[in-house]
Amino acid sequence: MNNADAAIVVMLVDDEEMVRECVAAYLEDEGFTVHGCASAEDALEIIVAVRPAVCISDLHLTGMNGEEFILRARALCPATSFMLHTGMLYSLSDRLREVGMTPDDVLLKPVHDLSKLVLKIKMLGAMGRES
Amino acid sequence: MEYRDRLTDIINFLPDATWAIDTEGTVIAWNRAVEELTGVKAESIIGKGNFEYAVPFYGCRLPILVDVAITPNLEQERHYKSFRRDGDTVEAEIFVPHFRPGGVYLWAKARRLLDAAGNVIGAIETVRDITEHKRMQERMVQTEKMVMVGGLAAGMAHEINNPLGAIMQHAQNIERRVSADIPANLKAAAEVGVDLALVRTYLQKRGIFDFIGHIRSAGMRASEIISNMLHFSRRGDFGAEYVDLSVLLDRVLELAGSDYDMKKKYAFSGIELQRMYANGLPPVLVTVADMEQVLLNILKNAAQAMVGAAPGRQQRITLRTSTAGGMVLIEIEDNGPGMDEAVRLRIFEPFYSSKAVGAGTGLGLSVAYAIVTKGHHGSIEVTSQQGAGCCVAIRLPLQGRDS
Repeated sequence: MNNADAAIVVMLVDDEEMVRECVAAYLEDEGFTVHGCASAEDALEIIVAVRPAVCISDLHLTGMNGEEFILRARALCPATSFMLHTGMLYSLSDRLREVGMTPDDVLLKPVHDLSKLVLKIKMLGAMGRES
Repeated sequence: MEYRDRLTDIINFLPDATWAIDTEGTVIAWNRAVEELTGVKAESIIGKGNFEYAVPFYGCRLPILVDVAITPNLEQERHYKSFRRDGDTVEAEIFVPHFRPGGVYLWAKARRLLDAAGNVIGAIETVRDITEHKRMQERMVQTEKMVMVGGLAAGMAHEINNPLGAIMQHAQNIERRVSADIPANLKAAAEVGVDLALVRTYLQKRGIFDFIGHIRSAGMRASEIISNMLHFSRRGDFGAEYVDLSVLLDRVLELAGSDYDMKKKYAFSGIELQRMYANGLPPVLVTVADMEQVLLNILKNAAQAMVGAAPGRQQRITLRTSTAGGMVLIEIEDNGPGMDEAVRLRIFEPFYSSKAVGAGTGLGLSVAYAIVTKGHHGSIEVTSQQGAGCCVAIRLPLQGRDS
């Protein structure tokens, strides 16, 4: 585990524990610090305290959906990079494009190979540190 | 005589193909519409018997509906779709496979002719070409099915993707949690007093790593099916660009040539490829990856169908492009075994497959249908002559999808 990675904090927002668990196990093995949240509402409460470098949110959540969550969370934590995790064929909404998200920030479920996600997180984490 | 001429004028005026026979089976009337439908002139057929009137339709002499009107024949009646007899009148829908390429649907009605005393003196038949109507019905049924499957697919994908992700990701997690590269693994192994290297050797020896690999690849396969099915529920499309169809088709042929199944199972390199691309075709707006998938699927079906069919005949796939009525037309034609009408009618149905179990999921053409119709606002149709081949025609709007 190298120290640069240890500093990267990742937040996972998904209402299914199973999803949070398997992604978290992988990311923790990579040395990231992972915070799981079961809802957008929970995540909004702690995101300022957690200050994640990267936040990955499910799109279809019980309660507030992932899109709305990202828009609100960005206002609270402008340094955080956001990604959407969804099982649907999804094209990025105009609102999310306007805040600078690209199709590259959308993860389609099921993610076959988490190592690609790790590379992406490391890249986003490094960008966050520079800015 | 004057009365007879007037009668001829009257039946010539009728828009439906109409003819009559006497009880001997001799043609006694043959109107203009049936001349136009069959290409056979009245003067060359009137007076002829021995089922001559069946030849333009079926290519051979056999009793047809007009004969059944005179003499009921249960065996023959069973073969008609929606056959009805009502007194002296019979009615049926008939598919005539070889009348035109792709066959035609005819609606036919025939009636006994009676003299003043009520004796049967012959029969009259009229037919109407209802192919276009049938095709439209087919498309409507197809669209309804797609909407239904689309809803089902979207719901299923949503429910299945999370567990599927867990299966694949946990398989990956298991691989990593026995890896010596992660300090936490070494630490846990030391705590319980086992040598991680020996654990790995054991797992290797018992094939556990292979099993894990199989779990991952099985998960991949399932997720491909799900992602294919999502095409059914896709509304619009994105990532479209203007492409030169000739370039796209050539690229798909190249992809087909390097595809494993195509090379090893379907001997694609042995198939003669005819490229008949129209010159100066305007660029067409397509989602390249999707359209490549459509064309590749069609090529695969063609190649697969030709395996072992008609030995001695040079297998050929013809790719043709043209424009007509604001649409660009792509035709992919093979000279394989073709299919019968029953198969053709179900060909775009999701999970319908005429192939052996394991040789196809039955999704290829239904996904192609969804991509072409929903994603590109085009149409796709299959025509086939059993024993002679099959042609898939894709029409895409020239002016782009949103205009």
